[in-house]
Amino acid sequence: MAYTRKRPEPITKINVTPIIDVALVLVIILLVTAPMLSVSNLPVNLPQAHTREAEDQRNLSVTLSEDGRLAVDNHDVTMDKLAAAIAARLAEPGNKDLLVVVRADSGAPYATVHQLLDAARIAGAKRLAIATRQKMDGAL
Amino acid sequence: MKRNRRSSDSMSGINEPNMTPLIDVSLVLVVILMVATPLALQSGIGVSSASSTGKKAAPSHTDRVEVSLLSADSIVVNRQLVHRDRLALTLHEVLAESATRQVVVRCADNVPHGDFVAVLDEARAQGAAEIAVAGR
Repeated sequence: MAYTRKRPEPITKINVTPIIDVALVLVIILLVTAPMLSVSNLPVNLPQAHTREAEDQRNLSVTLSEDGRLAVDNHDVTMDKLAAAIAARLAEPGNKDLLVVVRADSGAPYATVHQLLDAARIAGAKRLAIATRQKMDGAL
Repeated sequence: MKRNRRSSDSMSGINEPNMTPLIDVSLVLVVILMVATPLALQSGIGVSSASSTGKKAAPSHTDRVEVSLLSADSIVVNRQLVHRDRLALTLHEVLAESATRQVVVRCADNVPHGDFVAVLDEARAQGAAEIAVAGR
């Protein structure tokens, strides 16, 4: 009985592994970036702090830039319509106890920040937090 | 002879390691880290509004610590003017004596938000259980 070496058959099917790979990667990127999509892209230099709390995944962000521009999540608003905009978001189903995070620039005057906190309170916010940037020990 | 050479060519195959998956995964990790870093570094300080706490829940003046920011450097803690450098020590002392460890913070209009947050952070670091922001 002679030994006959079988030649491997050529692969004739489409290799779907790279497609699945890329698709899963896109899913992961979307999952990671989803929370960021709801935050306004106004330029804000958050104040630094050591305290690390109030880190709910779901929150309503109110952004105040140094030049006074305002945004609720990623929608620009004016100070007059701020309370109504927050109230509308809190009135959505499941948002009753949503954490309202005030993302104010560290150079913004306190008077404006206090107006934001007041507007949030008038709109019915039960939980308030002031956003900070984590201070690293030894950092400038 | 010609047939033999063709056979040996087909058997040689790709004998280098496939770098594509390694580069793919590395790039994905870089993208995820770039996107996640700002989120990971953002945090917050929970505050309550002093006017919304209700009269029944409000502790007596002797229990709570009242902090007023007159400017970035001059702060009044329980009616005692304190320089910013001595704030940590003063807060530590008054919070140790407070039963509720509730801090009520007032701030002048022109004080930058960064200085206001620095005081909240200091209060939390010195053991404040609850921070309330009062009207001006």
